[in-house]
Amino acid sequence: MVTQILDPTDERVPIKRSLTPRPEALHGTIALLDISKPRGDKFLDRLEQLLHERAPGVETRRFMKPTVAKPAPEPIKQAILEECDFVIEALAD
Amino acid sequence: MHPPTTFALRDAEGRERQFPPDGPVLLALVKEDCDTCNLTLPLLEKVHQATEDGLDVWVAVQKTDDIPVLKERHSLTMPLLDDDALDLSYETDIDTVPTLFLYDEQQNCTLQTFGFDRHEWREIASESMTLAGRPDRDTQIEWDALPVQRPGCGARNYEPGVYERLQALKSGDLLSRLVDLAASDDIYEFMYEQGYTDGFPVVPPTRERVWKMLQGTQRDPQDDVAVMPPNLAPITVEKIAINAVMAGAKPEYLPSIITLVEIACTETFNIHGVLATTMGATPVGIFNGPIRDRIGMNYLHGALGSGNRANASIGRALRLCARNVGGSLPGGTDRATQGGPHRMTMNFAENEAASPWESYAVERGFEPTDDVATLMAMSGGPATVADERARDGRALAGTLAASMSCMQDPKSPMVDTLVVLSPDHAGIFGRSGWSKDDVRECIMEETSIPLKDRLRSDDAGCGLPPGIVEQFGGEAALDMPIAKFRDKSNIILVVAGSSAAKFSTILGGWAGGAYSMPASSKIGV
Repeated sequence: MVTQILDPTDERVPIKRSLTPRPEALHGTIALLDISKPRGDKFLDRLEQLLHERAPGVETRRFMKPTVAKPAPEPIKQAILEECDFVIEALAD
Repeated sequence: MHPPTTFALRDAEGRERQFPPDGPVLLALVKEDCDTCNLTLPLLEKVHQATEDGLDVWVAVQKTDDIPVLKERHSLTMPLLDDDALDLSYETDIDTVPTLFLYDEQQNCTLQTFGFDRHEWREIASESMTLAGRPDRDTQIEWDALPVQRPGCGARNYEPGVYERLQALKSGDLLSRLVDLAASDDIYEFMYEQGYTDGFPVVPPTRERVWKMLQGTQRDPQDDVAVMPPNLAPITVEKIAINAVMAGAKPEYLPSIITLVEIACTETFNIHGVLATTMGATPVGIFNGPIRDRIGMNYLHGALGSGNRANASIGRALRLCARNVGGSLPGGTDRATQGGPHRMTMNFAENEAASPWESYAVERGFEPTDDVATLMAMSGGPATVADERARDGRALAGTLAASMSCMQDPKSPMVDTLVVLSPDHAGIFGRSGWSKDDVRECIMEETSIPLKDRLRSDDAGCGLPPGIVEQFGGEAALDMPIAKFRDKSNIILVVAGSSAAKFSTILGGWAGGAYSMPASSKIGV
């Protein structure tokens, strides 16, 4: 009788992740990340406009993935981490 | 075989015997259903009787249940040790019983033999008496009445199934986590519950099966083959072997599966995007070279499915690796809107002999003698193209073009498309003297329609955005012919199937370019 099998998975122990503490108010710089899906830029244009109207003093910076099909390249992730306080990603479809 | 240095086994009375004992020892390994063992056990007993306390005679029996049988059958008084677990047999790596090892007082193995050779056995018996300090005593063995020679029998540790189990348990090759099942678990249901399957049952990846699978490659089980998206998990040869077992593969398929995993995880092929896309794309494997026959792939009747183990399980193994190691799960990072049956497995070999052209692998720069695997990302198909009337290349290319012009939608241009020609269709092109490029150019021409007809409209939402006209030079370009495919090189032609009828198959690609390009590699060992 079969009593043992070998684990076919990557054997990663799931790591419980907690959300980064939410700040009280918007401040600093917000990264707006376009993942290169059609009309993602239109969505972010409108969002950027609303942010400037309703949160004066908050700066925005635009980022764009080279392709929707692959994860964001390391330099983009690093730039967002170093230069921005928030990130809003425009997902697809 | 290697003479053992230390071990501990229990005797028939349950007493643990530590090897080596003090003083000289004659060690034998036997099994019950071996005529030569039964011939020689009375001889060993006589040596035991004659040497008295001067030398230990120990007999390791390869099955617990055989110990009382042999003891009674031959009226044995010497210690019979229980090697049912085959620990000693594995360590000594004996392949034949009986096997004898004679050790002197310093525990040096001075003589050894297997089977029965009268001369050698007589020498061992004589030397045993000398080591026991009784060189002149008669063992009472009538040597002349014994046969000159008898071959031994296969040792139990080398029996099919047993050998693999021992290697899997003792070789230390396998490092994956062991998953314990309760006695009440149904193994197949358990694997469903764990999410290990693609919807069909999988073969339980026991240590024995995985070890046997690993014999299909020369690579070390712990070699890192690639980093498997979407979880970016390192995938070793052992993990691929586990999933290959589950997919129903044979050991000789393993190098092909490893190669497909390597290709899939390249930047060029980008399996991350292929499996994540909402379009429901999937990798399609194409095989060229002698390996097709060596591992029994099907490129004749039903080449694209179903019924052939190699075709089916090689493609399935890749998908299971992506699922179990990469973590690509439907509804998770696998965002396929609808998917399709070809996402279970889609893998075939080219019928090179039936092609009027060089094989797809040769076209891509490989030698005809190379074993080559290619992966392409396909989101559509397979769709049948039926033309039983065309008698020349022009007519057949026209039919293909008409069929291909509506792939995905009738307006949008496409990139990679795979055309799998049946031998009968391929033969028409061959007899017409058409090259692959002739076919491609005809398809480009026949699928060309004015730019204005490729624009989206109120009647059909598909097609190019109207603003794109500016890129072509404005309104003057509205009548410019635009082919269905961006470039003729996007049309990939291979031959598969049998000479049954004039039907071919087209499979629509995914996105091409930076998203995913066909990628090929020689198959390793």
